Amino acid sequence: MMLFKKKKKQLSKGTSGNVNSKTRSNFYLSRQNTWLLWLCQCLNIAVVAMELSTWMLTIIALSLAWQALLLQQNSDRATTSRGKHPGTVQSNLANKRHSHGLSKQLTTNVSPVVLGIFALLGCVAIALTAKQVGILLSMVHLLCFSYALKGFELRTRRDFYQLLLLGLFILASALIFRQDLAFSLIIFSLLILNLTVLLQFFSSEKAFATNLKVVVVLLGQSALLAMVLFLVFPRLSPFWQVPFAKSAETGLSDTVKPGDIANLTRSTKLAFRADFGTQKVPDYAQLYWRAIVLENYDGRQWRRQNKVTTNNTAARSIIFDASNTEVLPLTYQVFVEASFQKYLFALAPAVVTGNTSGITAQTDYTIQSSTIISQAKSYRLTSYLTAPLALELSPQSRQINLSYPQGSNPRLEQLALQLQHNYVDVQARAQAVLTLINQQNYSYTLQPPLLINNSLDQFFFDSQAGFCVHYASAFTFLMRASGIPARLVTGYLGGEYNGVTAEVNSAGKIVNKGHLSIYQYDAHAWSEIWVAGKGWLRIDPTGAVDPQRVNIGWSNQLLQEQAELNNSFFSLYRMKNITWLNTLRLQFDALDYQWTRWVIGFTSQQQYDLLKHWFGKMVPWKLALIIAVTLVLSMLMLMLLLHWLNRPKVKKQTFAQWQIIYHKAIDRLAKQGIEKPLAMTVNDFAKKIRQQCPELAIVFTRLSASYNRLCYQTLSISEQEKQAVTMQQQYHHFIQVLKNSDKKHL
Amino acid sequence: MPQTPPVVDIVQASQAAITAILNKIETVVLGKPKECRLALACLLAQGHLLIEDLPGMGKTTLAHVLATTLGLTYQRTQFTNDLLPADIVGFSIFDQATNRFELHKGPIFNQVVLADEINRASPKTQSALLEAMAEQQVSIDGITHELPRPFFVIATQNPLFHAGTYPLPESQLDRFMMRLSLGFPDIKAEKQILLTSSQRTNQKTADNQAAVVSQDELIAMQDAVSQISVSNDVLEYIIALSHVSRRAYSSHTSQVNNSGETAAEISCKPLSPRASKALLQAAKAMAFIDNRDYILPDDVQAVFYVVCQHRLEMQANQQLDPSQQESTSVARQILNSVDVLNPLGY
Repeated sequence: MMLFKKKKKQLSKGTSGNVNSKTRSNFYLSRQNTWLLWLCQCLNIAVVAMELSTWMLTIIALSLAWQALLLQQNSDRATTSRGKHPGTVQSNLANKRHSHGLSKQLTTNVSPVVLGIFALLGCVAIALTAKQVGILLSMVHLLCFSYALKGFELRTRRDFYQLLLLGLFILASALIFRQDLAFSLIIFSLLILNLTVLLQFFSSEKAFATNLKVVVVLLGQSALLAMVLFLVFPRLSPFWQVPFAKSAETGLSDTVKPGDIANLTRSTKLAFRADFGTQKVPDYAQLYWRAIVLENYDGRQWRRQNKVTTNNTAARSIIFDASNTEVLPLTYQVFVEASFQKYLFALAPAVVTGNTSGITAQTDYTIQSSTIISQAKSYRLTSYLTAPLALELSPQSRQINLSYPQGSNPRLEQLALQLQHNYVDVQARAQAVLTLINQQNYSYTLQPPLLINNSLDQFFFDSQAGFCVHYASAFTFLMRASGIPARLVTGYLGGEYNGVTAEVNSAGKIVNKGHLSIYQYDAHAWSEIWVAGKGWLRIDPTGAVDPQRVNIGWSNQLLQEQAELNNSFFSLYRMKNITWLNTLRLQFDALDYQWTRWVIGFTSQQQYDLLKHWFGKMVPWKLALIIAVTLVLSMLMLMLLLHWLNRPKVKKQTFAQWQIIYHKAIDRLAKQGIEKPLAMTVNDFAKKIRQQCPELAIVFTRLSASYNRLCYQTLSISEQEKQAVTMQQQYHHFIQVLKNSDKKHL
Repeated sequence: MPQTPPVVDIVQASQAAITAILNKIETVVLGKPKECRLALACLLAQGHLLIEDLPGMGKTTLAHVLATTLGLTYQRTQFTNDLLPADIVGFSIFDQATNRFELHKGPIFNQVVLADEINRASPKTQSALLEAMAEQQVSIDGITHELPRPFFVIATQNPLFHAGTYPLPESQLDRFMMRLSLGFPDIKAEKQILLTSSQRTNQKTADNQAAVVSQDELIAMQDAVSQISVSNDVLEYIIALSHVSRRAYSSHTSQVNNSGETAAEISCKPLSPRASKALLQAAKAMAFIDNRDYILPDDVQAVFYVVCQHRLEMQANQQLDPSQQESTSVARQILNSVDVLNPLGY
């Protein structure tokens, strides 16, 4: 390290001396910084790696590896040549040159022509795949590609800037795809690292840690301004809105075949959160979050019936028509993560209570977003958990919910006929099926055996092992075949209660009871059958085979299975069994919840509401005024802060009495047009006064002499006091003379 | 226990002697009262003096008259490029009669050593003076010999760009408290020089002049100088001056490091604490000559150029006229950048 620093110093001396190489040698990076830059490149690419296609990732990885190789070669060469001739000045000089071009040689090895052809080919490839991956992703591809290639031509300072800027841009674009707290923190720390590389370039003589600290402090300071702007700066679409990413859909889909949801349950990704405020969180078994109702069955898979959407008031009327006044409403807030789908989640039957824009209610009591959810979103709902669903069933709807392809599952059809014969009561018939499932040797597993043609027969009679969709499908099929209108519903069941966010205000009143986090592995499927006079009844055949799943949540056996499938060390199973880790996880979940709620969820609407809350009714000119004033104020604050930070940092010294008097005197003289230069001594100034205004000569010389004695001579205290009094008199005398001379001049 | 008289009394008592000394010097070195005072201040502050000027400007005359006026033993050594260290400090020689080595003391064993044209000798020989100047002692064959007190080295040198000159090592330059330049005399003074010189050749006035003060008086005056009181403000002023030089130096070097451009307003070497000490000591001597028992910033300013310029400058100034040199010098820039009334900028 020492050697390194020394070399750098010599290096810079060499550059200043040599005029010839000045333009060339303006740019150089230390070895440490070159490697840091390379590391930054790798990490920056890594954050968007999930979005890039494999071929692009391969190209980028190869480029970066090549760059690393070149770097390694260069530094090797530098060290070997230093080793060969240790002593002589000449070779040392040569070394300097050599290490000087450390980063530049990286480029000279790859000819621009090759690079150009390579870049062109890459662009063509991106353009060809653009249709497939969408405009946003192909732009990200292009960005990453150029970022990787730019590393090859690091010749001038400008190239360095470009590379860094591209890196920052990539970091920003990574936030399009994910915005949760952990990821944002990663992006922020990468931003710090990138900026440190930049700072390291400018103050290379300082240690990395020092520069890092500077960057952190600077970012901390600018965070204040960012916060103000975050609150008041208008979110004008489309300029300041995150572009929609057409990313892989996560979560449920509108076609379901047996075995589908089992895959989803391997994901520990967050689906949504629900906040019940001060109300009691319903029992686990009540938390059936409905998302999609699937009514069309073609023998292989379940499909969603295209529904006519109704407006919210209509939905309200549907529910209120049916519900009596005794049903208790339950109001809660739901925060969904980006799913790139339209489905929203609700405990049926629900009415959207808050801001209803962009949310439509369906006649099957599900709700949908009018646009694809590409960003975290929140909405407020009121559910009437015990209220019946749809007491009336239209003939058309009845027909759909009874239809099944004849002969698709003959054994089940036969069983259904038998059931229909044995049990006249609809609910008894359903109960009989559940009993059957419960009593026979059925098992609930995440790894169901494969079914030929998704045959429900095979599942129900042969393998007898399956996941929720298997049971729900088979059950619904049996119901339909036995003449009961039935349909499949997918959504989520339960959720993890997190009490970390629970708040109790100063009065001891509970403000918040914590929130529920619902993860992808909570995905579930169940059935609904229509019973006259009771409407659609929820029946979950899973409860018959694995009651724990329905009442508490995942059983340990399931968790273990999941851990095996995911093959990861930090699986949920292990997490839940280690108490402190689990607490930590819950803590982080709570933090992430607040982040989603207050930062990500701060949309233009919320901004508007907040401003309205602060400043009353909003009119455009008022809004503009507020923004302008805030901007100006924050800039002023920043200026003042800067001013304050740049103030000379010395301790305050109290001036002695005579110093104050003398300063007053020279201030008076300055008003007369006679300035005392800083470096002029008291005696010299007195001399100048004698020459310039003779009438002041005597008084001012005396005053100066007193000042000199008081300031510079060692006097006893009594002498000092005496002299100070004398000086005071001299000062008054001086002022008098000054005034008199003024009058004369006038 | 005999009470030492307060400094004020010694200062006042010495005034007559000082006026006498100055008068005497000024009759020999014509038209240069300021330089004469500085030279005297240097000796009173127990510092060594370097006089730099073109040949024939009266350097040697000044050195000579200083030595004789103060009544000190004096020897002049002409430095040439083949001069050896032994020629200055002396050497041991084997005496066959006594069968012992006997020390032949060199010219350094005088109270005033006039090293004429010091920069014509090789650096090795110049360095022979180092120990003597700093420690007031010399080592010959491993035996250390104390030098007489008071001990001054007055050196003269030609400007660096003259043929056959070696630059003085920085370490040695630093050991000279002051570097003086005499400069050309004005018309009146030169006329007088021309008039008197023809008479003087035979009379050898300067040589015959009797000492004005005794050695004891001189030592007493030197002691009094070091006892002159220094107020906190003056100390801060001196510190501020040296800090300006150090800041300028560090910002200068860091700027070179970064972008290869030199944008520092003042470019200089930093002042060492030894330089600050010399500055304080010289200022005390100036106050003493001025009949004061305390230092004013005026004193510091009066000696700052001669004490510090040779320690500050990056390369020798090639300006011939000393008055012009001073007004544009680094030392002047530094002086101008410090507020006298509030040196540390509270």
